[in-house]
Formats: sequence, structure tokens, C-alpha cells
Amino acid sequence: MSKEELNALQRGYHRRDELEELDVLPPEETVKEKRVALIECVEEIPCNPCAVVCRLDAIEKDGLCAPGTVDWEKCSGCTMCVAVCPGLSIFLQQIKDGKGYVTMPYEVLPAPKVGMTVKLMDRSGTVVGEGKIVNPTYQAKGDAYPRWVVTVEMDDPALSYEVRAIKIPEE
Amino acid sequence: MVDWRIYDHPILEFDRGKEVTIYLDGKPMKAYESETVAAALYANGLREFSKSIKYRRPRGFFCAIGRCSACMMEVDGVPNVRTCVAMCKEGMQIKRQKYPADYLNPILNLMKLPPAVYMRLMTRPSFIYKPAMTVMRELTGLGKFKKTLPGPAPTTMGSEGTLETDFLVVGGGPAGMQASIEAGQRGANIIIIDDKDRLGGQLLKQTHTFFSDVKYAAGKRGFKLGEQMIAQLSELPNVKVLTETAAVGYYPKENVMLMKRPGNATLKVKAKKYLVATGAYEKTLVFENNDIPGVYGAGGVQTLLNVFGVKPGNRGILLGTGNVALMVAYHLIQAGIEVAGVYAPSFRRVRGYFVHAAKIQRHGVPIVTRHTIVKALGKDEVKGAIMTRLNPDYTPAEGSQFHVDCDFICIGVGLNPAYDLVQLFNPQMVNNGTLGGMVPIRDKTFRFAPNAYIAGDCGSIEEATTAMLEGGLAGLYVTEALGRGDEGVTAKIEEYTHTLEEDRGSPFSTRLKAAIEEITVEDIEEVLN
Repeated sequence: MSKEELNALQRGYHRRDELEELDVLPPEETVKEKRVALIECVEEIPCNPCAVVCRLDAIEKDGLCAPGTVDWEKCSGCTMCVAVCPGLSIFLQQIKDGKGYVTMPYEVLPAPKVGMTVKLMDRSGTVVGEGKIVNPTYQAKGDAYPRWVVTVEMDDPALSYEVRAIKIPEE
Repeated sequence: MVDWRIYDHPILEFDRGKEVTIYLDGKPMKAYESETVAAALYANGLREFSKSIKYRRPRGFFCAIGRCSACMMEVDGVPNVRTCVAMCKEGMQIKRQKYPADYLNPILNLMKLPPAVYMRLMTRPSFIYKPAMTVMRELTGLGKFKKTLPGPAPTTMGSEGTLETDFLVVGGGPAGMQASIEAGQRGANIIIIDDKDRLGGQLLKQTHTFFSDVKYAAGKRGFKLGEQMIAQLSELPNVKVLTETAAVGYYPKENVMLMKRPGNATLKVKAKKYLVATGAYEKTLVFENNDIPGVYGAGGVQTLLNVFGVKPGNRGILLGTGNVALMVAYHLIQAGIEVAGVYAPSFRRVRGYFVHAAKIQRHGVPIVTRHTIVKALGKDEVKGAIMTRLNPDYTPAEGSQFHVDCDFICIGVGLNPAYDLVQLFNPQMVNNGTLGGMVPIRDKTFRFAPNAYIAGDCGSIEEATTAMLEGGLAGLYVTEALGRGDEGVTAKIEEYTHTLEEDRGSPFSTRLKAAIEEITVEDIEEVLN
């Protein structure tokens, strides 16, 4: 049995079309207008930091176990939820001046720096292109131990729907 | 010089303390005071710690928490010391237990007589037993006891006397600590013991952030949570913490628990109420060569990586797709160690949380379900693995075997409750697969014997967060049973119960909830009598 025939739960990651069916990805008009959060956490697990941390009440959660949904009207793309999500499953996406931007949590070494050229990887870990780090921040809010929140820029805006991890080449 | 220590880590900073020199068979090695002997030896590249008694197979590090006996060595003249729980000291002399049996073995094997056979044959007549044992211990490498051991003789029961207290908590993990905090804040005199050199249990290895409700653990990293709880406990003057103390027996008639303390000392504790929060053991998996150094419990790897900052190898594979296996894969990625893949026989789905699976795959680590391991390659240590695809009836698919290049294999296929101490209270035990194995029947207040309570993984295999909540609840119920209950306690019990229910509200816990209901009774006295 080949990998393609498995469903998302058997594979352990989603494809873009599966997430679109679940209404998880923001529409193109929204990401062209502003930077917004998207939550790729579709399973019922007991967790709520994202909804608690959001100051704009843009993340709705129907009970502790229900998956969170983002109100893209309210979301300002402040990165707070990206920094606290224990599942590392919240990202920000934007398309601006014909370029794609993805913001993601980053917890491995080497440390990210502005201007670094990095390999971009999709949800399955396949390298899909190269990008540039534009904004790495170090979050140390509340009791959460520091974690980087990194924004990468990519030339192909369509890639912003795919890229979910980066690999910084060793110097 | 070989050094397997990790110096750069994205989350952790390793404060190793003072550097000391230890000696392996006379050869000096660099170690630190905060390291266990096993971790220090591993960091110096040693993989084979001893040989098995019967077939002289190589034995090394496996569980790292003093549960298995694979790491026994001779330390400062004392044989059979579990090196994974013995701390390094300056000038420590460590010896591999290599004895004449190593040379005799080929001959004995030819005679179809493994050396240890004599241990069973020579028990009668009884006068032969003692001299025969002396010879056999010498031959097989079990070591020779010195005439005088450091410290008082271990035969004296309670060489450190008897302590009396309201509440004795056995196990300093999330459940035990939370119980001590809740009961301690309400004035009860408490003793909490743990067999390690520090409290914290498995929390100290959790570098990831927890789920659950923000009010309790969510968003915090496990080891930070552990540190926080240890600090909270140290502020309570009525809570006495005893580390390096193992509960080795309970005597219901006298109502006394016996402890083993460092230096062969023993201590008796008489308590009004007991809480057993001893946690769990790792399960293992049967495959060819699963005993050679390089095959580890996933928890053992976590200990090496996150407590001592020592790399288990350069390239590994994980067996199992439960949350423990998925988390260890992520911890390995964070430490910069290559993970060749996560393999499991599951057909229906990846067994752990989806978000855990997604976060390791986007880093390029494949999760391969419907596969299992056939054998580990290598003679003295792991050099690779042979994997196979499975048919839907779990038989190996013919012709699908392939080779994976790796130098260590982590087994993360689940946990067994550590019920040894529980049984000494004469409870009603049942075997429940969903909860992990043998567990006692209990009532709603977690009481499973007239004066004993249970919380955490040793009562049902779950998450650290649920262990904390259960521990908190048990602590509060004990407070009530000690006659210290009030409105505040009742309110707190309600709050905890509500959160625990919410935590178990996901589809993941449906079966677990039913299983817990099955083993919970209204009146425990009825069951016990």
C-alpha cells in the first residue's frame, strides 16, 4: 500500500486540499489584505492556551477539547498564539507585493537571524524551495520558555499555503 | 577524546556542576557531579557495561531510571550497583564485572551448560549451597561481597529509626508532588519519598509545552513545571522530602512502610494515610537482538538527552507512534540528532496526537505506519535494523524487508503501571489493557485499601497533566480523611474533578474513561472484605 492512499490520520500530516475542505486555510483575499493566523489543529484534544492568550477574542473554542477556529475579521496577526501553542500547529500567512510570508514557531538549532537564506519545507518535510528570514523574534511570555517565532519570505506566493518548516543550513 | 555530551541546545541549558574524574577499569574519564555513573560512561563512549550471566550477551544502558538491571557494575568495590542511579564522585573506581566465566563460557556452552545452571542445581544438600554460591558468584560475574560494606549492616530493620507522620507519599513525580502540595498547604504533616536523587519524576525530561487547561499546566514546559512544584514544596515546613529513598516493603499488620536509604541504611515510616504514586515501567518489544546495547526504552533516551545532555547516538529509529515515541523523536530533532524514521504497526491511524505527528514530519522525519522491526543488526552494539511491511492481519508481508541504517533504536510502545508496592496493601487487583496492566479497584476518592490511595500512572496510564490532577485530588481527599476538610477543600475538589473530566473529554479518552469507571466502585470496603 503506498503512502498516497492513506488518510491524514494514518499519514500524520495534512495535504493542502484536505485542510481547504476543513476550512482551516484563510481565503486568498484575506491573506492579500493582512497577516492572519491559521490553526492546523483539527483533532479534539484538551488544550486552550491559544484562545486564552488572544486579546482580540479572535480564536473561538467551544469547550476545552474542541479545535480552535480563527475569526479572520478580528485577527491582527500579532503572533501571540504562535508563541504559546503547545502543538506548534498555529501559523501566520500573508501575501504582500507578490511575495508569500509564513510565520512559524521554531525550536531547533541553529538560531535564526535576519537575512538568512533557508530551505523551505512543506507539511511532509519535503524541501519545496528557498526563502529568507525577515523577522525572527524570541518570545518569553508568561511561563512559556523562550521559543523563536520566525517569519520567512518566499518569491512564490502560492508556496505560503504549503511551507510549514524551515531548515537553516549549517555554516 | 570521545565526548557524546550536548553543549548547544535550543531549549535547555545544562548546568553540569563540578568536573570530577572517575576510573573505568583503572582508566581515567571525565565526568560531572550531576551525572549518574551510567550517563558519564555513556558520554565517554562506553556501550557495553556488563555481560549477561547465562549467555554472556553484551548488556548496556536501557531504562536509565533504575528499573531494569542492564547497567549493573562494580562501583568502589560494591558489586551489582545500578549505575544509572548512582551519582559520580571524585575518584570513583568502576569495574566491568568480568569474571572467569567469560573464559569458561565457550567450554560450558559446548557442554550445553550455561554457567548459571549450577545456581539452581546446587541448592541441595544445604551445606553445599553456601560454598557453591561463593564459587558461582565468582564465576558468573555476580561479584564477591566484601566482608564489610560501607555504612551499617543492611540486616538491621530501621537502622535510622521510625518516623511517624500523617501522610506518606511514595513517588515524587507529578502526582505525588501535587498531592503533597495540596495536603501540605492544609497543614498535614507529610513525608514524600523518591528513589532518585531529586524530585520531579519524568516531568524533568519533558522539554515540550503541555496541553490541558492554562489554569494548570498548559503552555508550560514539563521541566519548568517540575521545578515550580519542587520550589512550592520546599516552602512548606510540614513537608519532609526524602530523596534516594526507596520504599521496599509494607507490613499491613504493623502499618509500617520500610525504606532503603543511602549507605545501606533502612528507615521505618508509620503513617495514617499512604499515597502510592510510583508511576510506570516501559514496555518492551520482542524482536531478534533486542537485548544488545543500542536498543533503549524511549524514556531512557529522554533521560540521557534532556537530563544529562548526552547523545544516545548519531542516527536512530523510533518504534511506536504513541505520544511518548512522537515526543522523543521531536526531542532528538531538537538535540540535532538524525531520526531515520518512526515505525509502528498501527493500521487505523497514528496513535498519538495528530499535532505531534505533524510537527516531526514537517522536519523531514517520516512516520511509517503498517511496519515493524524484524531484527536489530550488530554483535556488540546496534549497527542497523531490518524492517518489514505488515499485511492487514499483522503478518510480515513477504519480500518487503528492508535495511535501515542506524546506531540506536528507541522502543516507545507504552507503559506498564508499577504496581509492586500497591499489591502489598492487599487490594483487589484487575488486569485492564486500556489502563496499561494490573491496577487496583478503587473508590471515587482514589482509595484502594483501608488507608491507602493511588494516583498517576501507577493507577492508570495517562498524561502527566492528568497525573497532576489525580494527585491533587488524592491529596485533598486525604486531607478530608484526616479530618482537616472544610468548604475550601470541597470547592477545590469540585474544581479539580471538573478539569479532570474536561481533560478526559476528547475522543482519545473515551475508552480510558469507560475503563476507569469499570474499576471505580462506590464502596471500597465491600470489595476488600
